[in-house]
Amino acid sequence: MTQPIVEVKNLKKSYKKRKTKEIITAVNHISFTVNKGEILGLLGPNGAGKTTTIKMICGLVRPDSGIITINGIDNQDKRLRAQEHISAVLEGNRNLYWRLTVRENLEYFAGNRGKSRKEVAGQIEELLGQFRLKDKENEMVNRLSRGMQQKLAIAVAMLAGSEVILLDEPTLGLDIETGYEVRELLREIVRTEKKTIIITSHDMDVIQDLCERTVIINSGKVVTNDRVENLMKLFEVRSYAVKLDGHLSEEQHQLLLEKFPQLTYIPETYQSVLEVDLTQSQEIYDLFDILKLEQIPVDTIDRKTINFEQVFMKIVKGEKEYALSERA
Amino acid sequence: MRFLNVLKANIRREYILLKRYLPNTIAMIITFYVLFLGMFAGISLIGDPSTQDTNIQYVIVNYIFWFLAMVVVNDIGWQITNEATQGTLEQLGMSPMGIWKIMLSRLLSTTLIEFAIIIALLYLSMFTAGQWLNVDVLSILPVLILTLISMFGLGLIIAGFTMILKQIQAFLQILQFILAGLTFVPLSVAPFLAFLPFVKGIDMVREIMINGVTLTEFAAVDILILVFNAVFYLGLGLFVFLRCEQFAMQKGLLAHY
Repeated sequence: MTQPIVEVKNLKKSYKKRKTKEIITAVNHISFTVNKGEILGLLGPNGAGKTTTIKMICGLVRPDSGIITINGIDNQDKRLRAQEHISAVLEGNRNLYWRLTVRENLEYFAGNRGKSRKEVAGQIEELLGQFRLKDKENEMVNRLSRGMQQKLAIAVAMLAGSEVILLDEPTLGLDIETGYEVRELLREIVRTEKKTIIITSHDMDVIQDLCERTVIINSGKVVTNDRVENLMKLFEVRSYAVKLDGHLSEEQHQLLLEKFPQLTYIPETYQSVLEVDLTQSQEIYDLFDILKLEQIPVDTIDRKTINFEQVFMKIVKGEKEYALSERA
Repeated sequence: MRFLNVLKANIRREYILLKRYLPNTIAMIITFYVLFLGMFAGISLIGDPSTQDTNIQYVIVNYIFWFLAMVVVNDIGWQITNEATQGTLEQLGMSPMGIWKIMLSRLLSTTLIEFAIIIALLYLSMFTAGQWLNVDVLSILPVLILTLISMFGLGLIIAGFTMILKQIQAFLQILQFILAGLTFVPLSVAPFLAFLPFVKGIDMVREIMINGVTLTEFAAVDILILVFNAVFYLGLGLFVFLRCEQFAMQKGLLAHY
């Protein structure tokens, strides 16, 4: 049975704007849990409240109300004890001392968590190998590539030895190859080290690739808390592209629009395409009934694939409730 | 034990940076030395010849302590400003040791590492002026340690305010002159200054180094004020720092600008 390691209950945080004194509710009574060994995606558009949520989980921002427990420890009452169980990469390569070397950074951050160099020596060797930073260990951070800096920032978080690692935009600004390498590293960390990872990212490929579950926040509220595959299924099934031999007459086009208001008609040189999102699976029969009745020749029919970015956009736009109700 | 590891990590970092940026360190020493030469020349050329020796001795002790106060009190403010700008302050805030312990260890490590420079500057200025002060280590050390404790308290107050205000550079520039004022003004001119951090301590060190007073010759009240200042300002510094930390967390101010 999966066990929650991070529990967020009824969290609220408001800020007062300095100039206008207007109260802004950044996080509005949100609740969710993260299970042990899970990779959770915490998503939301800019200004949705995810950074505030992350910082509250890290113990860097105090909530107005609500409770956060890390491994059963209240992170407000026993903040320092809770911080033993969590580490984070919040600003990627900016979380490092650029005038220190790779090894010096690792040793310094471990020291600041009360660990001696001797205590972490073996672990540092392992991490340098695992993150392919061994040949750069004596290089100053400002001379590393952005990808290497990012890997070092994650290695620093790993060295903390905490069960939960929070990564804010772990692949931001990385080239495709390094981004892929970071993803593989994260997957390996979860598999071999049994760590729990919370990721925020604007790169939906990363989320789709790494996360089992996502919590999507919008306007300070949780709008979705579901497995990625469930969300994909919810939206992917009813989008079709029907290729026709020839063109529709104006009457035929109007007839189809009456039945399917969201239909898009794209005339091409010799053929044309109908793109349609069906709200119910049986509607496909209605579409073909009309095409048959009007004697419109069909060349091909394709189900349009949907990626997680489109799913995310639909959820943020509030289409999830609509999709669920239609499905019901 | 864990705090010792924090302290060791910070001493090591301080040492690495000092060594790595040696030209900066040398430039800083030269700047301070040139400043001393200016003061020394001023006293030699336009000062009263009858009190010249005492005045020069006075300047040596004062300017060494000014340097010490700058290193301890002012530097921590700059460090916090830089950490906030770089984005590392939040990482320090995530340490289970607590930021205050890291900041205290920064204060200690800066003092320890810079102490070698301070000793070198002291001997360099004594050599330049041809005035050899009484370096009675047994008398100076206890007074110096208690003086430093009150300086650490003030350093924590500065660190706390810097954490929440951040754009405090202008104040830090002014602070170096306030520190100069506190170190240069003699207590005989303004006795109430004895209750300000480190002023009493510097006055006592002056007595030891210039007039040859030993620790046992100080009145009990002098020692009491010194101990009181150390305890009071360190306590106040910790209190203010922790309050500022709470405030910063309430307002989400640990991030960069």
